[in-house]
Amino acid sequence: MAFPHRPDAPELPDFSMLKRLARDQLIYLLEQLPGKKDLFIEADLMSPLDRIASVSILKQHEVDKLYKVENKPVLSSSEQSSGYPRGATCWAQCPCCREGSPWSEQARLWRGWERSAGREEQMVKELCFLVRPRIKNMRYIANLVNADKLAGRTRKYKVIFSPQKFYACEMVLEEEGIYGDVSCDEWAFSLLPLDVDLLSMELPEFFRDYFLEGDQRWINTVAQALHLLSTLYGPFPNCYGIGRCAKMSHELWRNLEEEEDSETKGRKPEIGHIFLLDRDVDFVTALCSQVVYEGLVDDTFRIKCGSVDFGPEVTSSDKSLKVLLNAEDKVFHEIRNEHFSNVFGFLSQKARNLQAQYDRRRGMDIKQMKNFVSQELKGLKQEHRLLSLHIGACESIMKKKTKQDFQELIKTEHALLEGFSIRDSTSYIEEHIDRQVSPIESLRLMCLLSITENGLIPKDYRSLKTQYLQSYGPEHLLTFSNLRRAGLLTEQAPGDTLTAVESKVSKLVTDKAAGKITDAFSSLAKRSNFRAISKKLNLIPRVDGEYDLKVPRDMAYVFSGAYVPLSCRVIEQVLERRSWQGLDEVLRLLNCSELAFTGGTKDDKAPSESLRLILVVFLGGCTFSEISALRFLGREKGFRFIFLTTAVTNSARLMEAMSEVKA
Amino acid sequence: MDCYTANWNPLGDSAFYRKYELYSMDWDLKEELRDCLVAAAPYGGPIALLRNPWRKEKAASVRPVLDIYSASGMPLASLLWKSGPVVSLGWSAEEELLCVQEDGVVLVYGLHGDFRRHFSMGNEVLQNRVLDARIFHTEFGSGVAILTGAHRFTLSANVGDLKLRRMPEVPGLQSAPSCWTTLCQDRVAHILLAVGPDLYLLDHATCSTVTPPGLAPGVSSFLQMAVSFTYRHLALFTDTGYIWMGTASLKEKLCEFNCNIRAPPKQMVWCSRPRSKERAVVVAWEKRLMVVGDAPESIQFVLDEDSYLVPELDGVRIFSRSIHEFLHEVPVASEEIFKIASMAPGALLLEAQKEYEKESQKADEYLREIQELGQLTQAVQQCIEAAGHEHRPDMQKSLLRAASFGKCFLDRFPPDGFVRMCQDLRVLNAIRDYHIGIPLTYSQYKQLTIQVLLDRLVLRRLYPLAIQICEYLRLPEVQGVSRILAHWACYKVQQKDVSDEDVARAINQKLGDTPGVSYSDIAARAYGCGRTELAIKLLEYEPRSGEQVPLLLKMKRSKLALSKAIESGDTDLVFTVLLHLKNELNRGDFFMTLRNQPMALSLYRQFCKHQELETLKDLYNQDDNHQELGSFHIRASYAAEERIEGRVAALQTAADAFYKAKNEFAAKATEDQMRLLRLQRRLEDELGGQFLDLSLHDTVTTLILGGHNKRAEQLARDFRIPDKRLWWLKLTALADLEDWEELEKFSKSKKSPIGYLPFVEICMKQHNKYEAKKYASRVGPEQKVKALLLVGDVAQAADVAIERRNEAELSLVLSHCTGATDGATADKIQRARAQAQKK
Repeated sequence: MAFPHRPDAPELPDFSMLKRLARDQLIYLLEQLPGKKDLFIEADLMSPLDRIASVSILKQHEVDKLYKVENKPVLSSSEQSSGYPRGATCWAQCPCCREGSPWSEQARLWRGWERSAGREEQMVKELCFLVRPRIKNMRYIANLVNADKLAGRTRKYKVIFSPQKFYACEMVLEEEGIYGDVSCDEWAFSLLPLDVDLLSMELPEFFRDYFLEGDQRWINTVAQALHLLSTLYGPFPNCYGIGRCAKMSHELWRNLEEEEDSETKGRKPEIGHIFLLDRDVDFVTALCSQVVYEGLVDDTFRIKCGSVDFGPEVTSSDKSLKVLLNAEDKVFHEIRNEHFSNVFGFLSQKARNLQAQYDRRRGMDIKQMKNFVSQELKGLKQEHRLLSLHIGACESIMKKKTKQDFQELIKTEHALLEGFSIRDSTSYIEEHIDRQVSPIESLRLMCLLSITENGLIPKDYRSLKTQYLQSYGPEHLLTFSNLRRAGLLTEQAPGDTLTAVESKVSKLVTDKAAGKITDAFSSLAKRSNFRAISKKLNLIPRVDGEYDLKVPRDMAYVFSGAYVPLSCRVIEQVLERRSWQGLDEVLRLLNCSELAFTGGTKDDKAPSESLRLILVVFLGGCTFSEISALRFLGREKGFRFIFLTTAVTNSARLMEAMSEVKA
Repeated sequence: MDCYTANWNPLGDSAFYRKYELYSMDWDLKEELRDCLVAAAPYGGPIALLRNPWRKEKAASVRPVLDIYSASGMPLASLLWKSGPVVSLGWSAEEELLCVQEDGVVLVYGLHGDFRRHFSMGNEVLQNRVLDARIFHTEFGSGVAILTGAHRFTLSANVGDLKLRRMPEVPGLQSAPSCWTTLCQDRVAHILLAVGPDLYLLDHATCSTVTPPGLAPGVSSFLQMAVSFTYRHLALFTDTGYIWMGTASLKEKLCEFNCNIRAPPKQMVWCSRPRSKERAVVVAWEKRLMVVGDAPESIQFVLDEDSYLVPELDGVRIFSRSIHEFLHEVPVASEEIFKIASMAPGALLLEAQKEYEKESQKADEYLREIQELGQLTQAVQQCIEAAGHEHRPDMQKSLLRAASFGKCFLDRFPPDGFVRMCQDLRVLNAIRDYHIGIPLTYSQYKQLTIQVLLDRLVLRRLYPLAIQICEYLRLPEVQGVSRILAHWACYKVQQKDVSDEDVARAINQKLGDTPGVSYSDIAARAYGCGRTELAIKLLEYEPRSGEQVPLLLKMKRSKLALSKAIESGDTDLVFTVLLHLKNELNRGDFFMTLRNQPMALSLYRQFCKHQELETLKDLYNQDDNHQELGSFHIRASYAAEERIEGRVAALQTAADAFYKAKNEFAAKATEDQMRLLRLQRRLEDELGGQFLDLSLHDTVTTLILGGHNKRAEQLARDFRIPDKRLWWLKLTALADLEDWEELEKFSKSKKSPIGYLPFVEICMKQHNKYEAKKYASRVGPEQKVKALLLVGDVAQAADVAIERRNEAELSLVLSHCTGATDGATADKIQRARAQAQKK
């Protein structure tokens, strides 16, 4: 059922090195601050950190207690007997977590374990903050330090920024008057291997920061990450990219390489191609409901940092359970890329096999039994546990999906993708909004409609927005303004004025300096041209009869055979041609004529083995559906894809990033 | 070659010393050396002469001249001495000339006579004047030790990081010591001084008397002392003409010698080579030079001229007005090869090669002899090593030829040693050249390393030679060529007589895009010389925009810095410049600058959003960005304001802004929200409960749930809620209330705009089959089957489907048929299907 790779498929590089590197660096940083210290960790960094270092490692390096930086407003100092703001939740003081055991598994128990007030510290410890470079974190730290000062406590503070320090943060520390009290460091931990073929930068804010706010700070981080990869795994002989961010990252990265090129020169490449792709090249794929198992699990339960919390309805007990989802989970590995309709069948088959293996016991003599117990039983039990979990997950998904009339929804999506009965779809969306089914879903459908139709016609644009505001409140006026700026939800404008702006912008774009600054305009002028692209790239497969989801023929299977993901198709086409040649029309339609590039060190020595390893970099996030589709493509063509993404995303996350919510 | 060993002088049984000429001096000295202060730097370094020093009671009206020459006597610099009287000169490890003045001020000059800096050795020195001073070298750098008029010592172990240390007093010291020197042990500098028959050792805190072991009796005074290059050995010359040689720790005696000359020597220096067992001291008097060691006899040379000794790592340089010589112990390899009648393998190999050139069969004999002893490898190595120690290129060549000849008869002899020696010798011969004048020996060169040598060439502005060496040795560009070019460029920008354009062009032509060259460093140097325009021109060549920014900021070219920072793509840098600008410019100008740089603007907005909300508003105001201004106030209406009046006011401002932005939709929506807010407030007052901040939809729902149907309808009319929404809303709310009566009433109020299927669905959701059935009958034909199936009436559903002859519906019904109960229905459908097919 799970398709094996072709026997000649290349081996994946060993990415565990990245983990070791990050861990060693962290330990080094912790040792810079000798003596006992309390560690404050930003919530967003907890899961990634969890994959890198366990509590016992932290404790070995004299970390006493762990707190979570929660960015709750800090109360005035008189209310804090402990010297820490209320927002800080102690994690590691409760008895359950004194020693050892990976802390994520216990996080649930610790959560909400408020530090008992009034117990004054005997010794003033040093404080260490492990945070993302965000201004609000700086304010949090400043409040804490200033509270200490008021209380007459003096201690050492260290702020470790991950993955890098921003000047703006130091600036805030200075403005708050504590720059001299804290020392700053960087933990250049930007690449977390979530799976054997998936690296994540764990920067979900990248999407909003870059594509909405036009903030380019993270591009440097991307360039650094690419540089790290090329120093560890050899140069990339071929390089392709599309999108403004991709282009800038590529340029910065090249600069980095040039500055210290002597190191990588002459190294044998391990990865033959690298493909950089901006999320805004293809919003459509990211906005579709996912129907491949891994994607569905993400849509339903939210996979966070490679693991998922299965609630009681899945585990069929009263506890929820945190499960790592990666290639090591044998059951999951076989179904992750499958269309959901196949998964049940597969799981029941698997269950029968498992039963059969258990049943073998019956005819055994003592010796065989001993063998069985010592060698196979553990594996079987493990498999059994996983199997029941995934069956539980499937049932839960089924329940949720049928409740919301999933079939109708999918039908509407397919209609939008294929571009028929637009009116029906529009009224479906309207009804969806009127019934307050889900604010995020409604937004998603509106965006999908807008992009596939080159913007909404003015009447619909107004009425849908009005409906939405009536359902969910006026603050979404800002959400719509965001969506418009990002080009996700726009109004159809009369043809010629738009092209005028377009040509003006593209003129600007050719100028190097201006090219980097026109984001604000370009999104306004951007037409999605989805229909034309779809035709050009043949994204809607013509099928006679039923699409066989069991034995898929193309990448469309990840969307039930209705649509080939645009991003994946572009990658496929470029890899086939080894350049953008012949894709001019597509690029024009994608508004990326100036933003597609090829490059890399043309190296004839590159062994053919490496040429079939391809690193795909998604700037702004990628979905599990895209990953599945490319894995499929890889199996078909004998490639292996490696994914590097700023974060794993899905339609809900994209919409949430654009939404304004009341604080 | 018979006379080759003619200049070899045996000292004892085991060692030979030889003296050979390095250069005949090119300088045209008018004065005698004895009339000058002389300082010569080790490692073949430059020589400084300060003529006409003050100690001679000459006419003070004539200003003395400070001359700097290379080791070959080529003039490097000459300047009139305008400062105070100088007591001592010396070279630092960086080849800077330190001139110690009488008042304790030390002036530092470069190799080309350029003044670098000065520092003082402290007040005590100033008051008591300098009696004597020494410049010495330690592993940290170069130090200065001073003997003051009060017979106290002050020293600094590293002039680069000046820390003055005043040494303890020697008890009862009345007169100046007869001689003194600095010792360096365990990384600490000490001072050893002799007063009469006593020796004192000064360290940080204490002054202790020391006695050299095995010192001959009858010493009443020490006239001279010398410490070896590596601070390991010490030699003492007494007034009895006796020389004691031992370790610098004064724990062990090595040997002694009695030269029977009671006159105080002019100079005494050690002459030994690293890793050699032989120890020897060179003592110089006015007309005589003596090499003494562990041997009953000494080697004597006559000095024709006034000479000066320079201790080196592996020997002694001796220069006079006309000649510059090198005296050293003959290295083992050379000795083995060239010693008369030597049968060492190297000697035989050299002989064999010579015979071979003469085409004599003796070559074979010699070679066989070596091979029989299995010493060919050793022979080759000996020849290579000896070549390194030869000063004359013809000797180097002949030894290398011998080595290369011998190599042919060896399998797998690693060639690296040979190749490296050839390269090293080529470099050495090049720098020993008369015009360059750095007479390094092979051992010194190895000790110094090629990097330091390159630095010294750069210091002498011998850029082409340095580059040639780099290219010849294939040094990596970053370490080699680019570094030298960068130095050259830094020198170039100091040439004030050349125009900015010419300098910039010349530099760019030479440097091009050589990797590792930092144009910004060169520009910084230009700026340091006060050539701002040149600096800006140079910065334009800098490929990494990021590197340009700090200097531009320093030069107050902030706006240019901003655009460069933006070009670099490094937002952090942009931010740095931004805050710089913010402090530098007034607000209006700052905003105007931002306006032209959208990327910087968005960055600054981000910052303001978190730190300075008011500034953000000002920014939008300045730009007339009414759309964003509207959004800003909308956000304020729920995030910043608490009171309802404040919120409405904020919304009003927002609405005005939206009108200005020609965004009527947003303006209308905002006005609606104002109305809604006011209304919700009234509702709360009149009805109680929570209404504020609910959406319109939720407000109406809450009203219905609270039983205020009238008000709900009024609200729906006021806000023009579309019928469809209202129906959905009422339907859901009433079902939630399980107010079936009202629901039925509502359903009959007029024809449902959303059909009746939702009624069925919602009743079923509340598990009210009875009510559901009521509505199922009213569902339109299109959805009837679905409705009937929902209420579980399979049979009727089948009837309808059959009637409508709809294949899809038939299948749907069929799929709902469960085994026993619906058997009949299923049959019915099958029949109907069969019939349909027949037709």
